[in-house]
Amino acid sequence: MSSAQELDLGLGLLDHQLVDCEGRRCGNVDDLEVVGVRDGQPRVAAILVGPPVWKGRGWFGRLAAFITPGGAVRVPWEEVERIDGAVHLRRTARELRLGRGDDRARKWVEWIPGS
Amino acid sequence: MRKIFQIALGILAAIGGFVDIGDLVFNVEAGATLGYQLLWVVVVGVNSIIVYSEMCGRVAAVSKRPVFDAIRERLGFGVGFGALVASQIVNLMTLAAEVGGVALALELLSGLPYRVLILLGVAALAVVIWVTPFEWIERIFGYGGLALLVFVVGAIKLHPDWGDVATGFAPHGTSSDKLVYAYFAVGLLGAAMTPYEVYFYSSGVVEEGWTPKDLGLNRTNAIIGYSLGGTLSLALMISAAALFLPLGVEPQFIGTVALGAQVPLGTIGLLLALVGILFAVGGAAIDTCFSGAYNVAQFFGWEWGKERRPSGAPRFTLAWIVLLFLALLVIMTGVDPVLVTEYAVIFSVVALPLTYIPILLVANDRAYMGQYVNGRVANALGLFYLVVILIVAVTAIPLMILTHQGQG
Repeated sequence: MSSAQELDLGLGLLDHQLVDCEGRRCGNVDDLEVVGVRDGQPRVAAILVGPPVWKGRGWFGRLAAFITPGGAVRVPWEEVERIDGAVHLRRTARELRLGRGDDRARKWVEWIPGS
Repeated sequence: MRKIFQIALGILAAIGGFVDIGDLVFNVEAGATLGYQLLWVVVVGVNSIIVYSEMCGRVAAVSKRPVFDAIRERLGFGVGFGALVASQIVNLMTLAAEVGGVALALELLSGLPYRVLILLGVAALAVVIWVTPFEWIERIFGYGGLALLVFVVGAIKLHPDWGDVATGFAPHGTSSDKLVYAYFAVGLLGAAMTPYEVYFYSSGVVEEGWTPKDLGLNRTNAIIGYSLGGTLSLALMISAAALFLPLGVEPQFIGTVALGAQVPLGTIGLLLALVGILFAVGGAAIDTCFSGAYNVAQFFGWEWGKERRPSGAPRFTLAWIVLLFLALLVIMTGVDPVLVTEYAVIFSVVALPLTYIPILLVANDRAYMGQYVNGRVANALGLFYLVVILIVAVTAIPLMILTHQGQG
């Protein structure tokens, strides 16, 4: 991701939809890993996704994390291709271990005719 | 020509799709209790939904982001999650009420037992959702709902005092119980602005791949579709006022609503009214069911969409199946659908600001909207109706308690 454009991390990145290289929706930007704050050169190192990450998102976040199963996934910033309304990734959700909940849920739906 | 035809079809579907069980219950009860006094509130409610529906459609067409994306992004995970839980509870109540309404309409049409018809109705809705493309769902139920126009004919045939009707379009003091007046005003606004409508509409805009080129259609749909849909609401209230107020009848059943067409027009009026109610409420049930699935999928970033195969968006598919099943359980307990409707509308009013504030913020964000950002008119109207919504949200539950749901 290289762009001279300014990006408001709070409004323009956090909580946005993640879309993989095949156009599949595969999670939201639940939190960000920011490094270099102490040396005065902060930068986003990774996007964090998944229920355990919600613990850092306030009281309701802790509640939601408590009741929702699933692990956390770290998507390195280098995997981000571009950002518009959504955050577009360079690889497939499967390669990045995203959207696994949909993969697990598929078997509950697949048996129905016409699915 | 083809384009004009398509627009006309969309508008027709919007008219038929405007009225749901909340509108049926509140317009008829308000007419029966307060006569024509609250006609002006319907106008305010319809204008408000026009302003916000246009905004939601524009945000979705330009940024490809439906309402619940905007809610989470602007309110953050915590408050957004609260909004999600609140909207899902309201959605489930609304869905249960609509399912009950479908069963009641079927009962009046067929004479079969109510609980059997709940099961049949839910099964039919599930099959329709499963096999019918998005566009056709809207059309089938939208056109079927047009049978409700019989209430417009009925209202005219009841020969109301048009002078009295006209005075109802301007707010003025009331000789009735002021709290009851306020309760019905709040309920009518809530029924006209039910939040599932914008969740569903904005997700549909994304699903159908609208772009800024479709913004004209978005505006036309909102203005003409909702205005004409609002006419149905007015007709329901006018016929209830002309018919029930002099008799002191308090309509507590869907069958009583249909009297507004049966008394002036006979059996054919009754049949058209019931068919219209069946399609309007059935269509609203599907919209509500999808809204619930859209909201949860968008909040958590799951794959979603009716346009995808069910196995292509499995959690979204499971979400609507589970919601429909839960609504079935709620209504099978035998709880009165009209009562559930009243609770659903009043609670939905409380959730309204959490839906409309983020939309107003996003519609003003140039980074998102570019040249399609809100203009002065959209902002002035948006802010005005937001104030209305806030007042309504704060007063809704106290008024419901104080008036015993409008009983005084």
